[in-house]
Amino acid sequence: MALPLKYNFRNITVRKSSTLATAFTIGLTVGVYLMVMALAHGIDLTLASSGEPLNLIVLREGSTAELNSSVSRENLNNLIYLDGVERESDQPLAAPETLTLIYKARKGMSQGSNVTIRGIGPMSNKLRSGYKTVAGRMFQPGLNEAVVSKRIAERFQGLDIGDKFRIQATDYSVVGLFEAGGKAFESEIWVDVNSLANATKRDTFSSVLLRVKDPSVLGPLAKRISDDQRLHLKAVPERTFYEDQQGAASGVLKVLAVFIAFIMAVGAGFAGMNTMYAAVARRTKEIGTLRVLGFSRRSILISFVLESVAIAIIGVGIGILLSLPLNFVSTGTANFTNFSEIAFNFRVTPDLMLSALIFGAGIGFLGSLLPSIRASRFKIVDALRAS
Amino acid sequence: MKFSKLIIKNILRNKRRTLLTISSLVVSLFLIITLATILTEFTRGSEKSNPLRLVTRHAVSLGFTLPMAQQQRIATVPGVKAVIPFSWFGGIYKDEKNFFANFAVDATRLRDVMTEVDMSDAEWQSFINDRQGAIVGKKLVQLYGFTNGQRVTLRSPIYDRSVEFIVRGVYTGGDEKTLFFHHEYVNELVPAWAKDQVSTFSILANSAADVPRISQAVDSLFINTDAPTKTESERDFAISFETMMGGVKQFMYGIMAAITFSLLLVMANTMAMTVRERTREVGMLKALGFQRGTIARLFVGEALVVTTLGALIGIGGAMVIFKSIDLSLYIPNFQSFMPTPQTLLLAFIVSISVGIASVIYSAYRVSGMTIAEALRSTE
Repeated sequence: MALPLKYNFRNITVRKSSTLATAFTIGLTVGVYLMVMALAHGIDLTLASSGEPLNLIVLREGSTAELNSSVSRENLNNLIYLDGVERESDQPLAAPETLTLIYKARKGMSQGSNVTIRGIGPMSNKLRSGYKTVAGRMFQPGLNEAVVSKRIAERFQGLDIGDKFRIQATDYSVVGLFEAGGKAFESEIWVDVNSLANATKRDTFSSVLLRVKDPSVLGPLAKRISDDQRLHLKAVPERTFYEDQQGAASGVLKVLAVFIAFIMAVGAGFAGMNTMYAAVARRTKEIGTLRVLGFSRRSILISFVLESVAIAIIGVGIGILLSLPLNFVSTGTANFTNFSEIAFNFRVTPDLMLSALIFGAGIGFLGSLLPSIRASRFKIVDALRAS
Repeated sequence: MKFSKLIIKNILRNKRRTLLTISSLVVSLFLIITLATILTEFTRGSEKSNPLRLVTRHAVSLGFTLPMAQQQRIATVPGVKAVIPFSWFGGIYKDEKNFFANFAVDATRLRDVMTEVDMSDAEWQSFINDRQGAIVGKKLVQLYGFTNGQRVTLRSPIYDRSVEFIVRGVYTGGDEKTLFFHHEYVNELVPAWAKDQVSTFSILANSAADVPRISQAVDSLFINTDAPTKTESERDFAISFETMMGGVKQFMYGIMAAITFSLLLVMANTMAMTVRERTREVGMLKALGFQRGTIARLFVGEALVVTTLGALIGIGGAMVIFKSIDLSLYIPNFQSFMPTPQTLLLAFIVSISVGIASVIYSAYRVSGMTIAEALRSTE
């Protein structure tokens, strides 16, 4: 026969401060875990959402990022007329793009970070979804104008509408701010690809984006480009390209999250054991009485384990509540693939909360095992005789 | 103290509880020390920079290169003792996982500018004499087993080239996970766009007073050229990298605060249980004539002994662990992984403060009870 849960509930509420202290310890552990993981998750989700399913990105063979890639104009012409490249009113849906970096100071600081400047072609926006001008206007092709991601304009000095920035000898004017649904290119500055080529005196592109006709062409076309010995290029589905960047940016954070959470969990587990041992000691006589009433050793064991897990779950609740406001926090860090700022939101997602719940309940479970076993092993006479 | 024996007896009364509490303290302090050490390493570039050194990069960003010819003109700036190219090669050794920094430099003057790099004269000579030569830090030797005379191939995705070097020396000091080689040599192998280009120059000033002047003078030399420069002290250059990571410092402080707070909760909970269980004893002590202050001090003393023990084991444990495993080998850009004396002191102060704060309320409450109240307690 199992002990009624009401018994545990009463016990939890009668020692409020002790329960709360233990729950808070677990809550802080879970909260820290959630905070670091939400950061890693924010980066991952930003990158995961950035590639279009039907896009191929073409880079120089052997390059690891757009920044150290180059595609010649001659190769561009070879690429856009390949079979399988989608067309719109006879124009191939292909976008040569050029990437460079500009170092900008963060707002309120003397130093900052690199911001990606992307030179985009007339087709670029047809190959990407989510772009929206939210202030000012789009740049005019051929002019030295730029549109800046709103997030970047908010985080860095001198990138608002009306501001100018200089690349080599060319001054660009910011004429608009844009949003892009939280995708990676929402951390960029966009200018006309030809004007950027002039400004940087480069006659090659960084990458070429291709839209394929249908999903079945994606793999074969990528292989055909990568295998062509004359091109010295590699083509990767855009999705894969961004997903592959996840590890470099968020891997360290995940390791840190697990490391910190594990050690904090050990500390919280010890504290939980203390609380449970005290509870067992205080209720020794009670346990004797319960045994006399016919409750088995097992039901006493289960009862104490449940009580501890319940306290831990309260803790998880506290931890989740502490971390939820993070969903509204936008932040940024260096993306090592392109060595530049990636702006994103902390993301406390349901699956993250679920992992926190399992983790927290696990602490409660493991912490309660020894005290509960002790409680279940009392001899009835000894227990009843306890003071 | 007169009552130290009583305090010890009390601590030993519930050995399991004391052990669990101390264990909890130890792991938390270990974590605080680890995080503080990460933070120290993270800001090492700016904190431990050479005040006589400056770095020149392209004014727009490191994404642009500077013409090698600028070196001669920088050398003429008053106050400049030496200037060398210091060019990021981004070479990968076998696999991308084996990340370490590698720079193209002027081998003949590297030791003049990078004064912390220490190597025997014979090795310096053999490095300088071999155009294909390279020198490696001691930690790279530990990691990859490089030896003098070994051929090492680095593939650079930036320059799209694989270049073979011959190890001519092993240095200590500074970042011991770096490989240096001749700029001259690689310059012949890189693609046309990268010929006679460098990513940065490293400058050594005659005196600290010259540094701001040099910075301005160098930048004004090139302001209207195709390659305008930004010259800053090594410290500022390091900070420019540290700020790239965003709010890492605040983030780490936040985590450390959370750990400290949870430590306080653990300790306060333990002490509250201890005090509560001894309420009747307090009544007894009072009946025997013990003053309120003495009783409160007994509890505070008990908490302090526990936290001090926890602090000593935590600090000692961290020292032993970090002395036996050098984590810096496996973390890019980390030069060492030893807690600083300040970090250890911080950990000690944290645990002592937690010890006092955890017991103040319980001790105050129980010692203020009347004899009758305390004796009537049902705990």
